[in-house]
Amino acid sequence: MGTGRFCDKVMGGTLLAVAMLALMPLSAWAERSVETAYGVVTVPEAPQRVVTLHEGALDVAVATGVTPLGAVTTRGGDNVARYLAPHFDDIAIVGVVREINLEAVLALEPDLILAPPQLAEAQYRLLSRMAPTVVPRNEGLDPEAWRSETRLFAQALGREAEGEAALDDVDARAAELAERMAADERPSAVLVRWMPQGPMVMSEALFTAGLLRAAGVAIHDAGLVREGVPHSDPLSFENLSRVDADWLFLATLNEEGREALEAAKASPAFARLDVVARDRVVPVDGQLWTSATGPLAAQAILDQLDAALSP
Amino acid sequence: MLAMQHSGLLPDRRLYRAMAGLSVLLVLVCLASLLLGAGDVGPARAWAMLIGQSDPEARFVLESLRLPRTLVGLVVGMALGVAGALLQAVTRNPLAEPGLLGVSAGAAFAVALALVLGATATTMRIGVAQFGAMAGCLCVLGVARVSGAGNDPVRLVLAGAALTGLLLSLTSLLLLFDQRAADEIRFWIVGSLAGRRLEHLVALMPSLLVAVALILAVARPLAALSLGERVASGLGHRPGLIRLLVIVAVALLVGAATATAGPIAFVGLVVPFAARALAGPDIRRTLWLCLPLGPLMVITADIISRLLVAPSELPLGVLTALCGAPVLVAVVRARRMSTL
Repeated sequence: MGTGRFCDKVMGGTLLAVAMLALMPLSAWAERSVETAYGVVTVPEAPQRVVTLHEGALDVAVATGVTPLGAVTTRGGDNVARYLAPHFDDIAIVGVVREINLEAVLALEPDLILAPPQLAEAQYRLLSRMAPTVVPRNEGLDPEAWRSETRLFAQALGREAEGEAALDDVDARAAELAERMAADERPSAVLVRWMPQGPMVMSEALFTAGLLRAAGVAIHDAGLVREGVPHSDPLSFENLSRVDADWLFLATLNEEGREALEAAKASPAFARLDVVARDRVVPVDGQLWTSATGPLAAQAILDQLDAALSP
Repeated sequence: MLAMQHSGLLPDRRLYRAMAGLSVLLVLVCLASLLLGAGDVGPARAWAMLIGQSDPEARFVLESLRLPRTLVGLVVGMALGVAGALLQAVTRNPLAEPGLLGVSAGAAFAVALALVLGATATTMRIGVAQFGAMAGCLCVLGVARVSGAGNDPVRLVLAGAALTGLLLSLTSLLLLFDQRAADEIRFWIVGSLAGRRLEHLVALMPSLLVAVALILAVARPLAALSLGERVASGLGHRPGLIRLLVIVAVALLVGAATATAGPIAFVGLVVPFAARALAGPDIRRTLWLCLPLGPLMVITADIISRLLVAPSELPLGVLTALCGAPVLVAVVRARRMSTL
């Protein structure tokens, strides 16, 4: 009995939704709708004034040929990430990821806002009054979450085909690297951020980790990172040998990666690692390797991986 | 009482016994510091290496990791303990502590600023930290003098807390503005002995020697000063000069300790507190006892910091604050507080 009534309600609801969807093209013929974390959002057919509040969204926009008017800074910088900077002459900075300058967003008069999955609901309410705001579902720490994000943002921008093409390009590039790698055994690798009191090991579930795996690198976290956490606490120097692998990627937030490598080498515990003796430590840009997501970031990381691993 | 004052820096018998006991304890703690760690080299394996078994891994861990941090802990503990005792004597305030009064924070901020401006050399850092410590010292004492807080221990600490808060947030601000040095600066917010090396320690030696010479020179006048400014003047000492010399010594000590291990709070509070409990208020006796007591606290806290969250480590500054905060509350609550 109860189930029957529930079914009726669901049916009724579905019918209503279908009816509304059917009516929508009539009332707003120049609009499309996308499925976001806050329900279905109607976006303009061809957005002209896009603001991205998420590094991944900025990446997707550029990858699909859209130039946003405003964006948040990269983590640890005062501008967009270095790998994206050449794509812009001048882009308005509307705050940092954690603190969005709502007035700056409003001043740009956006017609589409692309936001990060962890956007707070209160912020969403304010932003969605300025322009349709697209928030992807929060998947937690998932190395593949960027794919659905890319599709969603591309869809919101009306560039589905370009988005798919960008994803396919990344897959093709990763597969090509993996094929070359298969000649020798899959090399193991660890990604760390260097701190004066010890390295922090980055999670296996990061975007970069998933990408490296696809490219045939057996990246691991030495069992040091708890689930759902992006990195470990600074590892004791006594346990440094745990990060020994075929390759060690040393991420720093500063450009002078070489300097960080020299600083690390001054530590006797680091200098005696096997991977250091074989000169297989690769300083990498932390902005790109531990913070960015998106198809262009993926290409940039794979390029650096290729350059590092090819003799 | 008079006989004791005539003895100058020479320890009497009761002090001698306390020193001997504490020194034995310190040797044991240093040994424990060599035997215990966050890694795979456990106490048994470390001990086997110490008594002559060949074990390259254990040898490396003990010689290159645990021995340096133990020695650094030894020097940093002594410096902070003595600096605390001096600062308390000169301000006649049992709550005067380099960490609480913004001296450590001043040193850390100066280092962070230098790092942002592009400095890296080890020796430069010590000078910068000492300069920052000196500035912090003068700032807080100046504030205390202006508002007449010198007579009220808690007000001096409040002024210090405000200065510490200001300097810490300025350091955080640098961290926000310049992420280039972010990882380096983060170290300067909470101190740690991890990854410190012997060359860091060697670089400290010249300024520590100067500090020791200064302390030897001012210990006796400082004890006279604790009897009151008039008495000290009557005995032929110059209170203003003594204060200045003591503050220079404190800045040298705290700057050196902070440049090596980052800001470590509460050591300068807890250690002189324990020393006075053991040997009474005379600064010449307290200073002696601070020498073993400071390292005891720092190295014990460091051992705990390695064991609690192995295979990672806690920052040492967090642990000393955990031990120190209850002592601060106890001192504030004690009735006889302002009699120093």
